[in-house]
Amino acid sequence: MKRHLIGTAVLTAAALMLSGCAGDATGEGSPIVVGSVNTKSGPATFPEASLAAAAVFDAYNKAGGLDGRTIDYRSLDDKGDPASASAAARELVGSDEAVAMVGSASLIECEINAPYYEQEQILSIPGVGVDTGCFDTPNISPANVGPFNDMTLTLYHGSEVLGLDDICVLLEIAGSTRPTYQAAIDRWTEITGKKPLYIDDTVPYGASDYTPYIVKAKDAGCGALAVNPVEPDAIGQVKAAAAQGWDDVTWLYLTSVYSENFAAAVDDAGAGIYVPAEFYPFTDAESDINSEWRDLMNASDIPLTSFSQGGFLAAKYFIEVLEGIDGDITRESVTKALHDMKPIENPMVGTPYVFGTADTHADNTAGWPIKLTSGTNAWESDGEDWIVLPE
Amino acid sequence: MPRADSRLVRTGLPVVVAIVGILAGYLLSIGLSGYFVFLAVSAVTAAIAILGLGIVTGSAGMIALCQLTFAAVGAWVVSLLNVLEAPGGFVLWLLAGGAAAGGVGILVGLPALRLRGVNLAVVTLGFAAAADVTLVQIQFPGSKDGVPVMRPETFSSDRSYFFFSIIVLAVCGLVVYFLQRGRWGSSWKAVAFSERGTASVGQSVQAAKLTAFAVSAALGGISGGIIAGQVQLPFASSFTPIQSLALYVLAVMSGAYLIDMAIFGGFLWVLVPELLKRWGIPQDWGFVIFGALGVQALTSGTNLGQGIRNMWWRRDDARAAAAARARASSPAPASASTAATTSAAAPASRSAASGHALSVEHLTVEFGALKALDNVSLDVPAGSIMGLIGPNGAGKSTFVDAISGFLPNAGGTVRLDGVSLGRMSPTRRARLGLRRTFQQDRVPPSLTIDAYVRFVARRRVSSAEVAEVLEHFGCPPARTRLAGVDVGTRRLVEVAANVLARPAVLLLDEPAAGLSRAEHLALGERLGTVPGRFGTTIVLIEHDLDLVRTVCSTLTVLDFGKVLASGPQDEVLADRAVIKAYMGETEML
Amino acid sequence: MLQGALAGLAAGGLYAVLAVCLTLMSRLVRVVNFSQAATGMFGGFVAVWLVEEAGLPIWLGSMLGVLLAGVLAAVIGWIAATWLSEADTTTRSAMTVGPLLMLISLSFILFGNKPQPFSPIIAGPAFEVGGVVISQVTVATVSLAIVVAVAMRLVLTRTAVGTMLRALSERPTTAELLGIPSKPLSIAVWFVTGVISAIAIVIVAPSQSNDATSLSMLIVPAAAAALLGGFRRLDLAVVGGLLLGLLSGLVAQIDEVSLIRNFLPFLFIVVLLLWTQRKEVWDAAR
Repeated sequence: MKRHLIGTAVLTAAALMLSGCAGDATGEGSPIVVGSVNTKSGPATFPEASLAAAAVFDAYNKAGGLDGRTIDYRSLDDKGDPASASAAARELVGSDEAVAMVGSASLIECEINAPYYEQEQILSIPGVGVDTGCFDTPNISPANVGPFNDMTLTLYHGSEVLGLDDICVLLEIAGSTRPTYQAAIDRWTEITGKKPLYIDDTVPYGASDYTPYIVKAKDAGCGALAVNPVEPDAIGQVKAAAAQGWDDVTWLYLTSVYSENFAAAVDDAGAGIYVPAEFYPFTDAESDINSEWRDLMNASDIPLTSFSQGGFLAAKYFIEVLEGIDGDITRESVTKALHDMKPIENPMVGTPYVFGTADTHADNTAGWPIKLTSGTNAWESDGEDWIVLPE
Repeated sequence: MPRADSRLVRTGLPVVVAIVGILAGYLLSIGLSGYFVFLAVSAVTAAIAILGLGIVTGSAGMIALCQLTFAAVGAWVVSLLNVLEAPGGFVLWLLAGGAAAGGVGILVGLPALRLRGVNLAVVTLGFAAAADVTLVQIQFPGSKDGVPVMRPETFSSDRSYFFFSIIVLAVCGLVVYFLQRGRWGSSWKAVAFSERGTASVGQSVQAAKLTAFAVSAALGGISGGIIAGQVQLPFASSFTPIQSLALYVLAVMSGAYLIDMAIFGGFLWVLVPELLKRWGIPQDWGFVIFGALGVQALTSGTNLGQGIRNMWWRRDDARAAAAARARASSPAPASASTAATTSAAAPASRSAASGHALSVEHLTVEFGALKALDNVSLDVPAGSIMGLIGPNGAGKSTFVDAISGFLPNAGGTVRLDGVSLGRMSPTRRARLGLRRTFQQDRVPPSLTIDAYVRFVARRRVSSAEVAEVLEHFGCPPARTRLAGVDVGTRRLVEVAANVLARPAVLLLDEPAAGLSRAEHLALGERLGTVPGRFGTTIVLIEHDLDLVRTVCSTLTVLDFGKVLASGPQDEVLADRAVIKAYMGETEML
Repeated sequence: MLQGALAGLAAGGLYAVLAVCLTLMSRLVRVVNFSQAATGMFGGFVAVWLVEEAGLPIWLGSMLGVLLAGVLAAVIGWIAATWLSEADTTTRSAMTVGPLLMLISLSFILFGNKPQPFSPIIAGPAFEVGGVVISQVTVATVSLAIVVAVAMRLVLTRTAVGTMLRALSERPTTAELLGIPSKPLSIAVWFVTGVISAIAIVIVAPSQSNDATSLSMLIVPAAAAALLGGFRRLDLAVVGGLLLGLLSGLVAQIDEVSLIRNFLPFLFIVVLLLWTQRKEVWDAAR
């Protein structure tokens, strides 16, 4: 009598289960299921990548699909929560029987699901790889450069192209990223023989006020700051420096701050904000490098951001590989095709994309230099070609 | 016989329910699809965390906004032991995680010894916010190298791990069930209603609060440990303050101190996001819904579980009351008459008893410039009933407060059976055998009469003893819920329960207030038998002179904080000063 | 070191303003409003939306946003005054957790989780003393805190409304009998504090991280500051806010103790409470 509600709960669960189990027949002519796990809700989100991938697949389906077979693209929300990320992967891979994961963009998904993908022998091409798991595991190979190579790039660009000395590194550490960032900084030291003036890895994520950290850097005599923040934090940092009257500091940021929103929010950018964009700058409306992507995004009403570039490219790569497959489209055949694929060139990125059979995937080592200067509220290109890290 | 049955049912039924639950869990673990199995583990972890919240917020009435921080501690310890490859495997790590979280819970609960209500809420929210940022920085052990948490060997697949989590939930549910029905559970509910009331029956308020925090946090820790095993690489984002707030709201809304509702809450925790997903609504709406439902629950002062139970109980209580009336109609006069005969004999025999049960010397209490008690000295002979009378504001209640230890700055000495009480806490005094009742209602309504009487008695009492004393004082049967009886009856239950504790001295502060005239006299007769039957000396504060005359062998009259007269009843009542200062007023009563 | 400590002062000023609002609420309407910062945040976001999307001039957009924050607070106050007028402080305060959750999630839904492009009303350094830069925002928030505290004190002690408010908080039954309109007055208190917090947040938001969560969680340091005055004294609430800001600024300069920085409000709260309540052995009412 006391727990009759448990009964109700169990019944409802059973009902849910039934609704979840139904359908999902696979076979000749049925849609090819492709999944992605994305952080779409919560304090930091990446919705554009999977939207862009979905737009690409929609267009592909409209154009006839793969010999009449359409792609059924399913993107789920992981809320930035590990349990939801695992659950989403299990739904897509386990229940929906996806053949591959394409265009994912999540704060944590790679690291959480990498072992599961290995176990299920499925490959993932994230549109935006964020955590270390996206770059150092065998079954995941993102379409973007990623924050670690980007860090090396921004330091390299700062010291070698802009000729800056006294570069300080401020790191916001979340998850297991500290050693990877250290490796990225060491790589820069290896290439250029230069060392950061100091590294402050105590800078908090999502703090409300960064003034104390900025003051510390100013007092230490830093001339330029290389930082890896999420967009809101970057705004806080730039504004804190402006409020301190520190107008000769150069900011070396990562692609994470490359947005029109950020440009609109920053009036006083010190001596300039420099970013090695992971993809060809989307703010350059003149160039036709981006035109296919731009037209598709505008037609589908998707924001023009580097995230949507990543999702777009991931879907494009996948379709190209898919079309090269002879015979049945299954998880096995897709995996094999990705493993055996030839590098794909695309003018939107500086290095060709390849999945291959390597144990790690951090081969994308080029960024396009862009800058944001005080008072312009707009990003502009800062060079004629890609910056590529020397081997 | 029915009593023995009900005891068997009381211990046996939950075990049976737990076993059935585990079986159902096993069936679900093989029947559900892989995705739902994984989701179900999330529901189980949430249910365990809410179970913990139910104790600290539901039963003990303290706002704790950091439940998932405790979960993070549990997850952290499990990850650490996993990285260290500590012996014992996952189950032992899980217990260690629970224990560690319990320890942290005590630390966070320490301020609760001084802090109440909303201050404590602020502290716990501050703790949650701070721990969250720290956790993002230091991360879980093993996450740097991506060392996954090893699940128990026999439960390594998702399906079997879900079954494992169901077993843990069932065990947690059972433990909470028996804790809630034991001394700890009563102390939590008592402390939620009244700290003074709790201390006055010899239950340490500190212990009640800290055990509530510890058990609650330990459950949080176990929940976190299961999350660690579920996702294998725990992240700080599972344990943010916002989620703790949502969990708190969910606990309030479902009525989480009820075990089934905690499980239902865990179910809602995954059902709402899942439904949103299915309907294609952004997940952020989930917390909007939780927030709205929480406001609704808090403003209406009810929750789902309590609402359902109240409906059930009302019917139940009505039936019990009808049965009691039917029984009471015949034997009641007989018991009343026996009470009358014993009470008539009692006063005489008691005056012969040797020594003083309570002796007070120079008791002085000052509130600023006002002397509420001024150099009060009196002795209460062992085995007697002393009446303490005096006009309003004479200092009678202050006297009781001072004797029972609630005014630590009182001057003078108080001896109980010759032992000086010094500056002992109310709890110590109560344990030594000095009990009191209150003018205000301090009987926690969330208990049954049986649980309350056993809690107050602080000794092993048989059901027969409980039933006897309740019947003697004309109280409703033991299984009645206190929430369902009127205030006058609650005060009677309070007196009965304290009598059953067999204290050396019992201070009754206007026990008859709220009773009818006839009930007054009945109470007086019943009190008269107490010294003889229970060996308890009584100090009775009362306005009703008739009651005092029939029951008390000695009297003390207080006026403006001073003893006006003290001694045998007839002498005191004949005292001129007493008549002048006091009688005029009492004639009016 | 000094520079670092002073750098925390801008945040300290904001804590102080919010702490003053919390103190007022606690004194006058018996509530610790957990959604105090969240309503301000929401109003601020609406202001940005009005300016950026609807094309209103900054002053008008900001004003409407601030007003909306006040209205939101008043709605919460109306709920408290209607259904929880007899409830204790704890229950009333617990109720405000719901709106806090709702406002954060709603702002994610309506405005996304990207930081809002607040156009700064004031920015840049104000003056420099011996190499120590004081920003304009610091000056603004600190003076706002002091002005609000002083003004509120004057209102409470010198005006008829203040007398009624005090009567309401100290002797609610008598006040009712005297015909003081308790419900409208208490809702007005909610409204005014909502407006003040929103103003503070709109001033500060352009110069710091301004996503929904970090703005809403400002309630934690603000409550810590208010506790210095025991949720009763306005002057101590201001001092508490500024002190907490200075302390966090100072601690951030020392790498070895950077972890403590997070726990600073928490430790501040615990130590203060234990000290101020050391004599309150027994709960007055229970």
